[in-house]
Amino acid sequence: MTERPWLAHYPADVSPELGDVTLPHLPALVSAATATYADTIAFTQCMPNGMNGSLTYAQVDALSDDFAAYLREVVGLNQGDRVAVQMPNCLSYPVVAFGVFKAGCILVNTNPLYTATEMTHQFADSGARALVIIDMFADRLPQVLPKTSIETVVTVRISEFFPPVIAGVIRGVQKVWNRSLPTITVNHTSLRSTLAAGRSRKNAAAARSYLDGIDANTVAALQYTGGTTGVSKGAMLTHGNLVANTLQMISMCGTYMRPGVEIVLTALPLYHIFAFTVNLLGFFHIGARNILVPTPRPPSNLKRAFENYKITWVSGVNTLFNALMNERWFADSPPKHLRASAAGGMSLHMSVASRWREMTGTPIVEGYGLTESSPVLTFNPLDGMGKDGTIGIPVPSTEVRCIDDAGLPVGVGTPGELLARGPQVMLGYWQRPDETALALVDGWLHTGDIAEMDADGYFTIVDRKKDMILVSGFNVYPNEVEERIASLAGVIEVGVVGIPDEKAGEAVRAYIVADLTPPTEAQVIAHCRETLAAYKVPKSVRFIDELPKSPIGKILRRELRADAVTSPTASIETQGRELS
Amino acid sequence: MIGAPLIVLTQTVVNEQDVVTPFEQNLLVGLVFVIMFGLGAGLTPRDFRLAIRRPWGLIIGWVTQFGIMPLLAFLLIIGFLWQLPREYAAPVALGALLMGCVPAGTTSNIFTYFSKGNLALSVIMTTNSTLWALVMTPLVLVLYGRLLFTEESDLQIPTTNIVITLVILLVPVVLGMTVRRYSANIGAVMELMGGFFGLFFIVFLMATWVPRNWALLAGTPWQTYVVAIGLGLFGIAIAYLLTRAIRLHPMNARTIALETGIQNGPLAIAIVLLTFNGNPDIGLILIVPALYSLFIVIVATFVTFAFRRANLAAEQKIPSLL
Repeated sequence: MTERPWLAHYPADVSPELGDVTLPHLPALVSAATATYADTIAFTQCMPNGMNGSLTYAQVDALSDDFAAYLREVVGLNQGDRVAVQMPNCLSYPVVAFGVFKAGCILVNTNPLYTATEMTHQFADSGARALVIIDMFADRLPQVLPKTSIETVVTVRISEFFPPVIAGVIRGVQKVWNRSLPTITVNHTSLRSTLAAGRSRKNAAAARSYLDGIDANTVAALQYTGGTTGVSKGAMLTHGNLVANTLQMISMCGTYMRPGVEIVLTALPLYHIFAFTVNLLGFFHIGARNILVPTPRPPSNLKRAFENYKITWVSGVNTLFNALMNERWFADSPPKHLRASAAGGMSLHMSVASRWREMTGTPIVEGYGLTESSPVLTFNPLDGMGKDGTIGIPVPSTEVRCIDDAGLPVGVGTPGELLARGPQVMLGYWQRPDETALALVDGWLHTGDIAEMDADGYFTIVDRKKDMILVSGFNVYPNEVEERIASLAGVIEVGVVGIPDEKAGEAVRAYIVADLTPPTEAQVIAHCRETLAAYKVPKSVRFIDELPKSPIGKILRRELRADAVTSPTASIETQGRELS
Repeated sequence: MIGAPLIVLTQTVVNEQDVVTPFEQNLLVGLVFVIMFGLGAGLTPRDFRLAIRRPWGLIIGWVTQFGIMPLLAFLLIIGFLWQLPREYAAPVALGALLMGCVPAGTTSNIFTYFSKGNLALSVIMTTNSTLWALVMTPLVLVLYGRLLFTEESDLQIPTTNIVITLVILLVPVVLGMTVRRYSANIGAVMELMGGFFGLFFIVFLMATWVPRNWALLAGTPWQTYVVAIGLGLFGIAIAYLLTRAIRLHPMNARTIALETGIQNGPLAIAIVLLTFNGNPDIGLILIVPALYSLFIVIVATFVTFAFRRANLAAEQKIPSLL
């Protein structure tokens, strides 16, 4: 399939090719933005009660220079050394992440909610030599550090870079009221003192030397993912991957991303590739102000951010948009200055998309991508040509196609595994040639997602290959069943999985989070019967308090499946709570 | 605020200096300012829009706040205080009536939070009743005052002074809103401090005022205690039963109940101090507001425990009427 029917549907102001990229690496991207927007506010961290702190472009640039100098001159790290970073959205994040890039080191993003076992695996696998961690979670380190090669631990406060009095109040509340600050027993340095140490040692010539030999093909970040095989492994994203994807995403949004004007709500965690590229890099590049929210759950935590800042963009996942619209304060006065919203991470339900458009009067479009592709591969045009329920068209300089089991391209309207090729596709998996060989074949990334393309070149994800349920030899795609059940009154959220079944091999089961007027099991089944073929209709329905979710709010079907397999009748309530 | 015609009674039992020292007066007024500032610092114009768009909760809250509470105070006064000699009962009754007519207190928000109520509704109801108090507090005060103080023909409720006091106390609310508009940081700190000062007020009362006025409290007839405690307790109970009877969601019923029963004690005390300054009976007028402020914390704590244990399971089946 060499033709690209989507090219006809590019918005008028979007070029189908990225052209020459003038930014050789991420530090160049940071410098370019700083040169243009020096005194503009780059990041504002907004706490649930409205307390906030901000950094300008120039401050972020200078502070990240300090941190780079600390890593190279004080700690003695070398080019290519890994630095693990584990913190929620806060002002320290851009300072540290940009500092790591400027030092010529490799960033290893780590989920702060990880257990000691997960941390150990990720730190040991990446061979990280330094760790920058939020102080609230540093109590797990004594168990973790001995099994890793981490020599230096830097601790960060959630209130870092806040005005002193405000920082003091937050610190006091954390210490006295919440008691959320554990005693840290391992050797560590505070970010504040590392920056002071770095500042006294930095010089421009040395800073340039940190980046000697670093170009588009140098690895910038190890982004851990389960991928299609489930083993946690680090996708090697190069400076070129991340720069290209940033520009591809911006280019696709055209005039909807106005340089120097936008205020974007960053409620998704920056350690996740979606917010990392779209918010941290993309919106930074165009001189926007990022409103960083440390925890978007419960959604009422976002109230102050919406009240106090004229939010023009929201990037989120289906669950976030849905949760916001279920908040009365949001529904009654939706953000007035909003221009557009981008959804990713999981499929955006059509019902959620249309409600969002109706409520806010602004476009919301779905994009698609993987950790392995930095992440954006496809995006819906914002100019009204977007198609709900589809993941849109490939971003500039990106080829996408679907293949069948024999590896041959399939025709329009036929489902097949989605493959992609472009400047954003990763180098491979860190120290795992076997896994890399499975995912990258002749430069094509095998996504493991089943998709189909329509005549206009818009792609639709039919489902995750591994989430597909096989009922008596028929393929059931959970998304389709979930979408149907979600439209039933009383249903807040739903996850559909296959459970072992003696007769059919697998049977469909729905896990439902209902509001105060839950439908009955019979009603759910009857509702599905109306539009779904008999084999797709759930055999059983379970009502639970919460669905297990990933850090960005993606419903974890494998957790639901694990529950169904190990305890076919037990409730998964407790499991769901722990995970989310 | 001096010179307005005040209640004149033949005999005074206690004098002002014994009950509230000038230092305490200034401190209390200062605290009320901080509390009101904190209330304002948590508000945006958006909240008012929200209230106008979904007025049912506010209408019910308005009815319970300015309908039930003054009536309850009136009935308690007739039922209990009027058993006592008039020269004692009249000033105490004035304080009790005022306690029934003032708007809801900010502490209701804290208790609503702990009893798993609707916090947003609580905050908006507090604000709403505080604003309405400008008109309603003097109005119901005069209405019931005429019915109650028939024997004290020379008694005049200083409505002008009360309105002025309320207006003055709204200044920090507006100030809080303005400050918060320009600095979310200062706003958030003030909001936090407002909550703490609300509690500090009670602690302060217990630590200094109670021991010093022990003799007064010990000599206070049981009827006065019934009025002071009953106002909060019955107020919560009646509002809860009423809201449940019209089939409100239990979460909102709990909220409205607490909101109704928990009055703005510090505000009532501040009004007394500011408008009855120099009145020889100020000590007696202050008794019910002071006792109420003390006991409402205990009452509300017990109610909160009861609410928390209340049928959470049953709620799953009740449709949300919001």
